Amino acid sequence: MAAKVKVCVLRADGINCDNELEFAFKKYGADTQFVHINELRIKSKKLKAFQILAIPGGFSYGDDVASGKVLAVELVNFLNSELKDFIKNGGLIIGICNGFQALVRTGLLPFGNLGRMDATLAQNKSGHFECRWVKIITEKSVCPFLPAGLIADVAVNHGEGDFYSTREVVDRVEKDKLVTFRYVDEKGKRTMLYPANPNGSTNAIAGVCDPTGRILGLMPHPEKFVQNTQHPNWRRPDFKNNQAGFIIENMVKFAKQS
Amino acid sequence: MIQTIRITSKGQADSKGQGLLADVKRFLHIDSINNIKTAKVYRLENVDKQQALRIADEILFEPIDHIMSVNNPLIKHSVKIIEVAYKPGVMNPEVASIIKASSDIGINVQAADSSVEYAFFGNINQADLEKITKKFLVNKTIQHVVTKQPKTLIIKGSSPKTKTIQIRKLTEAQLMALAEKGLYLNLEEMKVIQNYFKKIKRDPTDCELEVLAQTWSEHCNHKTFKAKLIIDGKKKEPLFTRIKSTAKNNSKLIVSAFVDNSGVIDFYDGFALNGKVETHNSPSAIEPYGGAMTGSGGVFRDILGTGQGAKVIGSTDIFCFAPWDLPQKDLPPGCLPPDYIFKHVIYGIRDYGNRVGIPTNNGSVHFHTGFKAKPTVAAGAYGLIPKAKAAKQQPQKGDLILTLGGRTGRDGVHGATFSSGVMTHKTIETSGSAVQIGNAIEEKRVIDAVLAMRDSNLIRSITDCGAGGFSSAIGEMGEPIGAHVYLEKAPLKYTGLAPWEIFLSESQERMILAISPKNIKKALEISRLYNVEAIVLGQFDGTKRLKVTYNNQNVCDLDMKFLHHGLPQREMIGTTIVKNIKNSQPEPVTNLSSVWQKVMSHGNVASKESIVRMYDHNVQGTNALHPFSGVGYDGPNDGVIVRPILEKPYGAVISHGLNPAMMEIDPYWGSIWAITEAVSNFVSIGGDIGHAALIDNFVWPFPDEESMADLDKAVDACVKMSSILNMPFISGKDSLSSTYRYPDGKILKIPPVLLISVFGKIPDVKKTQSADFKKSDSVIVLVGKPDLENLGGTTYFDVTQSSSPQISKPDLNSLVQVLNSVTKGIQNGDILACHDISEGGIAAGLAEMCFGGQVGANVDLSVILSGAKNLSKRPDFVLFSETPGTFLVEVKSEAIAKKLFGKLPYYILGKTTSEQSIRIKSAKTVFTLNVNKLKDAWQRPIKEVFYGR
Repeated sequence: MAAKVKVCVLRADGINCDNELEFAFKKYGADTQFVHINELRIKSKKLKAFQILAIPGGFSYGDDVASGKVLAVELVNFLNSELKDFIKNGGLIIGICNGFQALVRTGLLPFGNLGRMDATLAQNKSGHFECRWVKIITEKSVCPFLPAGLIADVAVNHGEGDFYSTREVVDRVEKDKLVTFRYVDEKGKRTMLYPANPNGSTNAIAGVCDPTGRILGLMPHPEKFVQNTQHPNWRRPDFKNNQAGFIIENMVKFAKQS
Repeated sequence: MIQTIRITSKGQADSKGQGLLADVKRFLHIDSINNIKTAKVYRLENVDKQQALRIADEILFEPIDHIMSVNNPLIKHSVKIIEVAYKPGVMNPEVASIIKASSDIGINVQAADSSVEYAFFGNINQADLEKITKKFLVNKTIQHVVTKQPKTLIIKGSSPKTKTIQIRKLTEAQLMALAEKGLYLNLEEMKVIQNYFKKIKRDPTDCELEVLAQTWSEHCNHKTFKAKLIIDGKKKEPLFTRIKSTAKNNSKLIVSAFVDNSGVIDFYDGFALNGKVETHNSPSAIEPYGGAMTGSGGVFRDILGTGQGAKVIGSTDIFCFAPWDLPQKDLPPGCLPPDYIFKHVIYGIRDYGNRVGIPTNNGSVHFHTGFKAKPTVAAGAYGLIPKAKAAKQQPQKGDLILTLGGRTGRDGVHGATFSSGVMTHKTIETSGSAVQIGNAIEEKRVIDAVLAMRDSNLIRSITDCGAGGFSSAIGEMGEPIGAHVYLEKAPLKYTGLAPWEIFLSESQERMILAISPKNIKKALEISRLYNVEAIVLGQFDGTKRLKVTYNNQNVCDLDMKFLHHGLPQREMIGTTIVKNIKNSQPEPVTNLSSVWQKVMSHGNVASKESIVRMYDHNVQGTNALHPFSGVGYDGPNDGVIVRPILEKPYGAVISHGLNPAMMEIDPYWGSIWAITEAVSNFVSIGGDIGHAALIDNFVWPFPDEESMADLDKAVDACVKMSSILNMPFISGKDSLSSTYRYPDGKILKIPPVLLISVFGKIPDVKKTQSADFKKSDSVIVLVGKPDLENLGGTTYFDVTQSSSPQISKPDLNSLVQVLNSVTKGIQNGDILACHDISEGGIAAGLAEMCFGGQVGANVDLSVILSGAKNLSKRPDFVLFSETPGTFLVEVKSEAIAKKLFGKLPYYILGKTTSEQSIRIKSAKTVFTLNVNKLKDAWQRPIKEVFYGR
């Protein structure tokens, strides 16, 4: 039997969705370890020991200045070469919610430009934090482990989730097939309507990947729906088990094969 | 030199500005302003312009959607700009991050600040600007308008020395004058102190007096609860003794009760659950945002500071405010408007709980004009802890005193004593220093570090620095053994604090730990890893004294025995005063639809979904019953179920109950109502009262004779219900200062509040239920015996301006059996949906179940009316009676109802339908209501408060 996929679940001041993310990775057979960013900075732990770097949601450093910003500054300035090596050597990265915001602010998403920001996650159009359940669909994208057309129920818990950039950047993200997830309505059609699109994100974009498809970021929380009782409506007779866990499961499987 | 960076969004869109503009138009009716833009202002001290530009480029400024300027104005063409900042010395949580991120790019910023500029376009006159500033922008307790560039951001000052207070020679009048300068002790207590120092032949230091005042304050010592009582001429046991006596009920469940920072009960697989509910009324009255934040922060630390450290798994928030549309003329002098308090309390809870990552998943909001001076703001928290680490340990001789977390500042000085006093129109001005802004990320760091230390077996004992700061934390932890504190070691936010201020400051996010010297190195390593400042302040030394020195100078040297046991037991007198409430019943209803909508729109009934969606109630991914569920995720549930260990099926069930309107009419039956409501909420989601414990919070007016008698009745009710239900109280808190004194001496008391919280365990979260109707054609059953005669205090009576001295009473004879039958019906899967009856009665409960299931209902009231006495043959009374301990349940068939409830009181009301309407049939008439209209009436009010129309 092949060795388990090693996942680094990153911790830093204010990251707070680390436990459920770790649980999700474990559920799909990964070997997980919590790693505080200070351990990477002082090199007592090394990124290269892992196949997946998972950046959980939360309020890293209080989301002071801008959400995920202080963490992004830290990643760019202290883990620059480690991140580049990790990516070059085929490592996978997933950033969820605040982790996504941080990846966008490092520049790794959407174009893999570490140190240069090409897009942002702006404040929700509603003007406030949103904690609710929505539907997303997987898009046909360059991400090698996400088949298109799957619909999942997911939790969103954020105040700044509007994927926003210049027309040129958004067009390139679309053209290069970097959009991995979009918010959809009850019928599975992409939507700009609140609250099915909880933040008013451009083109209903809920998540993107980089051109290699191996760095993935999304605002919704697939890790919060990997077992039925996590859903508000698992008691209803017509409950459909649209778990979002396949995103994590497929990632682990892909890491195992590669 | 200070560099000033301004950043604003590129386009015209600016949600903060737009939100303010909407509020200005809506609440102040100022229409001359056509736009408001905002800019963030950052000030950086001791960096040059090049460095400032780098900080801007790499940290503060994102060219995709921002524009910026350095040392120049940014927003052009506005008619007026005002800048609002925190006052110097008030915690600005963002500063630490700015300094850290700058250091991460290699620039050392000595000090920093951030603030917000508001730029107004169109026309605005000075008077309107002042109105806007006062109502929306500045709470002068913590904020100010920046009128000129500050010269420095560094706060400096030379430390005042420790003073000796010559108390021995003071007269009684002079003693009282001293007490009134912030000690809040009475003459008898002052004389005990004076005599003590006469006996030991010296005068106290300022710090010793402050330590005594804090330790003996009502807030910390609960003198009223410990007092000898004479109620209506009869001697009674102290309230606390009576409450604690309930621990004999179902005692096998209890791990610890009333001895730690929270109460602890057994869970499964070697784990325990702990729970605590705190109030933060006084700070929230004068600075609701910071007051609510620090309330949450404090109760999370209570959970963390239990045993050797527990993980917080859930949080509850319960508020009582005056109605948000209270006319300005009714607002007492010196008080903040209720809509401001309401919104900013919610924002405080949101910004703190969300950042720390605690699911705020249960709560309620109540409205009553009696809260127009002082709101009731309660925050509860629940935790998970290994049972082997759940017992409180005492420090050993030689253990080190470690302070962990935030630095100490002047903020929060006199919080304990201020919270024990009556509020007046001057409170905001005189007690501003008692109020703080919380730093949630500091708390999160502390939590992470403490749990890591616990798991490495490094902690002997832990407590939080709440009211009374170091004084309270170290004084209490060191009581059995003694402690020596070297105060000069305490990390400070800025210089200039007197030693007593350092010792008494209630600066947030600090914990005190007792660590064996052999573990200190590892403990300090863990703190460094988590970016938490940890400093050894001294040690537990075996002297049985509380000794504090500052650079070898004596600051405090008190005998622990006198400090903790020198306070004389008070004697309190209570006298029942019969309340004169007139009996004025409503006219028979002619338009049920209209009155039903009014009830649904009442603040106490209206949907709180708009609030709950701003709370991160789903962080940790552990909710097995969410606050809202149903087809559109908008049907409310009666409590929350958390699955704290995701790989296990075990559940922690949490709920609460209270009713200030009922309490005001009848403190005894109002208390029974609150307790019954709390356990009914608990049971209606699948909780089992055989595996649950109670937490009390008494939020009371200052205990004059009348309020004292009311308090005594509430405690009687608690003891009685604890016995009937066989459930112990394991934690509690009293806050007895919710009285406001008008400038002319007139007194305003809040309606007394007994808040009861329930938490317990269930072996399998799958055997629980939600409130949304699951399908059409199900049978709707009312379980339990409704009180159809007494509707005093109900929402219905409020909207119809009716009154009665009699409130709805549960049938205590059948209560336990009813509760158990519901639990059983849920656990065996027979009950498809369940909702307990509370504010708004059957009408509100039925409507809410229909909203969640997107179904309608056909209900026939004749089955209840035919059995009722003549007096109560009123369909409106059936629909709007608020009898706790009664439930609406959905079952498949009448046969199942019979099987479940047999001889218990139950009534088949009708069936669910696939139409979006509720049909109510009583003897002669049929009313039909549109479900969507009711839903709109129910959802709209709170939504409008927060998001406008």
